[in-house]
Amino acid sequence: MSSASIPASGAPRLAGAQRKLADRLGDPLLRGLTTLATLIGVLALGALVYKVFELAGESFSKFGLGFVTSSEWNPVHNQFGAADFLFGTAVTSFGALLIAGPVSVAIALFLTELAPRRVRRPVATLVELLAAIPSVVLGFWGIIVLAPAMSETIEPALNSVLGWIPLFSGTPAGFGLLPAIVILTIMTVPIVSSVTRDVFATVPTELKEGAFALGATRWEMVRMVILPYARSGMVGALILGLGRALGEAIAVTMVIGHTPQITASLFGTGDTLASRIASEYQGATTTLQISSLAYLAAILLVLALIANALARLIVRRTGLRGQAPSSGAPTAPATTPTAPVTSPSGALPHPGAVAPAPGGGAS
Amino acid sequence: MKTRKIGALACAAALALTVAACGSSNSSSSNSKTLVGAGSTLVAPLVSVWQPEYLKEHGVSVAYSAIGSGGGIAQITARTVDFGASDAPLTEDEFKEAKEVVQIPWALAATCIAYNVPGLSNHLKLTGPVLAEIFMGKITTWNDPKIAALNPGATLPSMKITPVYRTDGSGDTFAVTNYLSQISPEFKAQIGNSTQVKWPVGIGGKGNSGVGGALKSTPGSIGYIAIAYVLAEEFDYALIKNAAGNYPVPGIASISAAAAALKEIPSNNEVSIVNPPASAPAAYPISTFTYSIVPLSSPKADTLKPFLKWAITTGQKFGPKLDFAPLPAKVVQADEATIEKIG
Amino acid sequence: MNAPAATPAPVSPLLRSDGRLRRRRIVNRAMEALATLAALLAVAVLAVVIVSVLIKGISAIDLDFFLHSEVPFGEKGGGIANAIVGTLVLVALASAMAIPVGVLIGIHSSQFARSRTAAAIRFVLDILNGVPTIVTGIFIFGLLVIGHQQSGWAGAIALAIIMLPIVARACHEVLALVPDTLKEGGLALGATRWRTVLRIVLPTAAGGMITGSLLAIARVAGETAPLLFTCAIVGPGVQTNPAQALASIPVRIFELAESPSKEQHAEAWAAALLLIAAVLVLNVIARTLFGRSQARIGRTR
Repeated sequence: MSSASIPASGAPRLAGAQRKLADRLGDPLLRGLTTLATLIGVLALGALVYKVFELAGESFSKFGLGFVTSSEWNPVHNQFGAADFLFGTAVTSFGALLIAGPVSVAIALFLTELAPRRVRRPVATLVELLAAIPSVVLGFWGIIVLAPAMSETIEPALNSVLGWIPLFSGTPAGFGLLPAIVILTIMTVPIVSSVTRDVFATVPTELKEGAFALGATRWEMVRMVILPYARSGMVGALILGLGRALGEAIAVTMVIGHTPQITASLFGTGDTLASRIASEYQGATTTLQISSLAYLAAILLVLALIANALARLIVRRTGLRGQAPSSGAPTAPATTPTAPVTSPSGALPHPGAVAPAPGGGAS
Repeated sequence: MKTRKIGALACAAALALTVAACGSSNSSSSNSKTLVGAGSTLVAPLVSVWQPEYLKEHGVSVAYSAIGSGGGIAQITARTVDFGASDAPLTEDEFKEAKEVVQIPWALAATCIAYNVPGLSNHLKLTGPVLAEIFMGKITTWNDPKIAALNPGATLPSMKITPVYRTDGSGDTFAVTNYLSQISPEFKAQIGNSTQVKWPVGIGGKGNSGVGGALKSTPGSIGYIAIAYVLAEEFDYALIKNAAGNYPVPGIASISAAAAALKEIPSNNEVSIVNPPASAPAAYPISTFTYSIVPLSSPKADTLKPFLKWAITTGQKFGPKLDFAPLPAKVVQADEATIEKIG
Repeated sequence: MNAPAATPAPVSPLLRSDGRLRRRRIVNRAMEALATLAALLAVAVLAVVIVSVLIKGISAIDLDFFLHSEVPFGEKGGGIANAIVGTLVLVALASAMAIPVGVLIGIHSSQFARSRTAAAIRFVLDILNGVPTIVTGIFIFGLLVIGHQQSGWAGAIALAIIMLPIVARACHEVLALVPDTLKEGGLALGATRWRTVLRIVLPTAAGGMITGSLLAIARVAGETAPLLFTCAIVGPGVQTNPAQALASIPVRIFELAESPSKEQHAEAWAAALLLIAAVLVLNVIARTLFGRSQARIGRTR
């Protein structure tokens, strides 16, 4: 019985009768309060989903599900359709994942296998701090620093070398899909690498040591043991990152160029669901336009929730008990008995969760 | 324990701020001392000068958000603001949806055609038809013969023309499309005249500042932007040929000339002065009034009416520095009659 | 004698010493280099962003910046005093709403709820966490702004909704970590459930709960999207009355960013510097606090 564990109570002791009353009331009171709080939370979510769908009602009754496939967004003629924005969302989010995925896995490997002990904490913290940058700051940086730099260096280089591929054809401009992809990559790398790091930490050391005993190089051990073991966890991390990228509005809207169109070239401008809502909602002129923007929001909500739920399901099945990554919190990695409670990985909220959340985000 | 103390302190601080905020909401500024408006970015520079002046003179705080004329109309329709501001007059449908509002022309300015072409000097000469073709994507390079014909002495580069347009619901878009629709039937058929149209080519910017930003960062671009922003950012701008065949410099003189050509003011106060007739030789063809849109019966009527009266009289003196021309007398008269109806 | 000719024991292909070993080693080196490069790249990007903001923002920071609000169009000077005050008020209000409710939810799901209910609560919290913040903004717009006007309350409530799942989840996780021995000790001494929770479990988990709250605060301090439709039309000068819309630093940066004016850009950089500094400081404090509280929990095992 460690004496340090029970904090000294500084409050004056209540007299007998009062104390009995307080004791009897306290439990139901606390239970009641906490249940009320929980109901508030659930109610908030329910009200949110209900309200967004209700706002979308007018547009839904006019366009139905065809809205999703229609590529016509013309406020003057009261024609609205989500296809251009679904395309933009898909291209930017998947493009970001394509880059963020390998980079995040590499970072996770570095932090779990390669880095010397002393370097792990600081570097891990720095990567997570990347997620703490508010999206408006990243978007502003994108406008002033990234987009001009890309249009002067990377894009012309890509155009000259790979210009024969439709992806990189056309004239490099400042804003467009490519800067949006880069910015989304910067935002998703922290969460994907953090979750991947946790997944890698659950790989049993015996398996790793076994590979080394067989004479594998470190890379071969990674390839033969870690990656296959962590495969579904990595998929979960990627989907979590996808949810994050889908919902990002502000940083994307600042660099993407606001053009509803479906274009083959990454140098072109476009628009995403979240970005269009952010740029047009205040200035929407008719109730149909407002409702159509709410319809976009409803689609976005559904996509983000699916990504979120899917990721949870997958990562949960890899055995990260009590550590659903979509809302990380201080936890210890549950499956390695040798890991101390203060183990670095997984012990702090996942940057993409407590900082920008998957599908949410400091937008 | 230190963490408990920190936690307690933080809670106390949050609570204190909350109480202070609620306290201030009871004591200071109650409803009648504030006005909330939103809309046109063209009039935003003038409103930003009015805000501190009116606060000083009358103690009323006017909040304003420049979200574009379309947004101003939408917000006053939803009554989420006390007044809307729009350079585009309300259409019949908009009047119906807004239910019992009046529009009051309260400032007079112009929309310029600015461009960013390295090596090209200021005051490029363009005509309405040529401008229409540029925005329709028919003229694609700066050294197009049609542009060269209008500017014999200038060296025009072979750069691609990138039109820049407004992505939000904009009174400047309305003014420009109004002008171009009158000049070019093809433009009218293909693009039309409204606060928000579908432009076939080019890039978009949000608000006048967004267009300015896009212009600045895109060499070879040309876009329409309110005059206050053109002069503040020192953009090069085009001279547009008016009906009389002249190329007036957009400014107070040419804007006033366009407004003077206004014959009479209809009962709904819709005063469109784009493309003035040849009888106004010095008129700038894309001049525009900008309106304040207010409900006929508003809970803040007794704060709103003095503000509107002030804006169309005393407020006008702050205009010229930002290139807003003073309202013509008959417009002020019509305005005052309309303001009386608010109750 | 009739023993079969001894075939050499099969050697793991990985141990065979042939020219492939060199190639394998080279591949290994290359992969290690790539992994290190990736980590360096991430750190480099962070450094580039922070340094850009620092360099461009520091020149615009002066006393005016902190003391004055916006100036009329075209004039020089001016600052973001109203945005700083507005952000403080909005974040304080949002915290006052979200943190108590979040803590209570955490207590409920870790102390009182059955495991199935607790899992359901965690599920709901995760879903709430995954809602894009712009959709939250639209929700509050539809709920509170339509038919009325924008206000600080609407903005604060939108921020509170974003904070809630973060705080609740953090509290749950930390409270669940408190060793059962502590709870049982308290109950064994005759304390009621609520006394045990309030006097024993909560203080032990306080560090983690504060961490979660600080991180939630750091998150919403930088949020723009939920405020765009709920709390963006602001009047001149510093205001603290949440019945009206209040200026906020992220929204201000968003507005300034679209302007072509060099002065306004400089102001935006300075505001971004302030915001990044505040957010990073909060993050670092939260993480240090967490490390210390974890050490304390570790000692009680």
